[in-house]
Amino acid sequence: MNIGSTATLERVTDLRQRKILSKVIDKDTTISLEGRDPLENTMILNMGPQHPATHGVLRVLLRLDGETVEKCIPELGYLHRGYEKLGENMTYHEFLPHTDRLDYLSPMSNNVAYAMAVEKVLGLEIPPRAAWIRTMICELARISSHLLAMGAMSMDCGAITMLLWTFRERERLYDIFEKICGARFTTSYTRIGGVANDFTPDIIPMIRKFIDQFPAQLRDFEGLVNRNRIFVERVSGIGYMSAEEAIQLGMTGPCLRGSGVAHDLRRDEPYLLYDQLDFDVITYADGDCFARYMVRGDEMKESVKIVRQLLDKIPDGPVLANEAKQVLPGKVEIYTKMEELIQDFMLVNFGQQTEPGEIYSCIESPKGELGFYITSDGSGQAWRMKIRSPSFCNLQALQPMCEGAMISDVVAIIGSIDPVMGEADK
Amino acid sequence: MAIKSVQAKQVKQLNFWEKLYLPEIARGLTLTFKQVFTPKFTREYPEERFIPAGSYRGRPVLVEEENGERCVACGLCSRVCPAIAIEVQAGETTREKERYPSKFEINMLRCIYCGYCEEVCPEEAIVMSKDYELVFTNVEDAIFGKDRLLMPVSQLQDRLEFLRQYRG
Ligand code: SF4
Ligand code: SF4
Repeated sequence: MNIGSTATLERVTDLRQRKILSKVIDKDTTISLEGRDPLENTMILNMGPQHPATHGVLRVLLRLDGETVEKCIPELGYLHRGYEKLGENMTYHEFLPHTDRLDYLSPMSNNVAYAMAVEKVLGLEIPPRAAWIRTMICELARISSHLLAMGAMSMDCGAITMLLWTFRERERLYDIFEKICGARFTTSYTRIGGVANDFTPDIIPMIRKFIDQFPAQLRDFEGLVNRNRIFVERVSGIGYMSAEEAIQLGMTGPCLRGSGVAHDLRRDEPYLLYDQLDFDVITYADGDCFARYMVRGDEMKESVKIVRQLLDKIPDGPVLANEAKQVLPGKVEIYTKMEELIQDFMLVNFGQQTEPGEIYSCIESPKGELGFYITSDGSGQAWRMKIRSPSFCNLQALQPMCEGAMISDVVAIIGSIDPVMGEADK
Repeated sequence: MAIKSVQAKQVKQLNFWEKLYLPEIARGLTLTFKQVFTPKFTREYPEERFIPAGSYRGRPVLVEEENGERCVACGLCSRVCPAIAIEVQAGETTREKERYPSKFEINMLRCIYCGYCEEVCPEEAIVMSKDYELVFTNVEDAIFGKDRLLMPVSQLQDRLEFLRQYRG
């Protein structure tokens, strides 16, 4: 069979579509109007992949009885770019910019998660200042991601002002990111063994300024909708997810904590500097959309707390480990010394030499547990790289949450899960 | 350290005033109205220009000195480029460094501004400039050759200074 031919491709696509469709349809779905009341029939609604409220290219097939969702089939994969496979075809160093594009709302924490995984493969220690910077950027990324989640969910429910306000705050954070690493969005900031460059002196005052004005802004945001009857009644009580089912589905992050499970990798398996920091793990027991919304709001306050503590103890020193065989040498050394120059060439061309083995390393990203599972065969690139993306797992909850809900709730439910399709589809 | 989980109180119960709805509307309106008196946040872009700092990663350019480019066409940047945007062809010269790139092209449609080329270059010959305004109307225009990539070293002082001080 000629796989590449258009006819075959069409047939495969057709088959696939029919398979998905058959999941939503049962025999009584076909509409026949003869002698029957048209209102007895159910209707298939195709939501997405271009629907603005699906946060990207999520496609949801809904079977509706009147306005009630009878069945809900999320279809993922529209943004599949094969990142796991790409990771197996380039050196560890080269893959780093690709991690920006997984969860593109918090590229900084993806960079950190990936660099930490590779460092685990290599058995590399990072200097204290690099760990400090990483903790700091992770928390700033968490604030920026939660801001968007908060704004987007409110907007999905009609509060457009919120989105504009949260975007403004995010803008300030992006200004900081831009100063730190030179790019607002695709940061590519960490390196295997540390971070790309040190903070310039004007960054700490910038972060301080942001952190000082942010709580007041957050109060404004919350004042706008949190006690507003329209919003509260719109989002509370819908999209219920019990704690047991949430654990069974593998949900993590704010979605899990919104169901009352106090699970946070920052506390349960501390990495970087988190074991020296004082913060609370926020949980809300209700398990509905409002609970998940509130978790994010409160987590931002915790992040502010963490950043404040971090600002009090800034360690000095290098930001990149001095490990000739595994970390790119410093620029000045490359320019002046032969040994380092050769090292530079070797690392770029062949990558780090690793020990064969398997590792799993994860962090608490803003969306939940972001993990990298790397199987290494001793060469400079991963033999297999699995990305455990929180959005993908959290989206599995869409089906149980939506079934039985009203059609207008679906948008709020998607908003409260806060999926990023770049990450879910990889 | 004292890390604890907080079980938040039930928040859904609205009190009498909140249920009345109108006081909340008034509060919301006050908050929005307050915004009128805050300073403007946006920038009127073409008139008011954005001037990036030294850490900014704009379009990658080749550093040009009085006697030509610094690049020795080692090809390391084109090897590391995650987007496979760079094409280098080496040529020989009588200059001190003996090699030079007879062809150096960056496909700006592929480039993702990651700065890896700059990071690995052993000659400090390719750096990220502050140039962020890139416009082209067809694919051919997007492939920048040496004519458009070379930038005099005097225009790149900020970035070179930044690299020396804050990177390695
Ligand atoms: S720019 Fe630098 S890395 Fe690229 S070919 Fe020239 S000398 Fe080599
Ligand atoms: S900035 Fe990155 S993508 Fe662009 S040419 Fe340099 S290495 Fe390639």
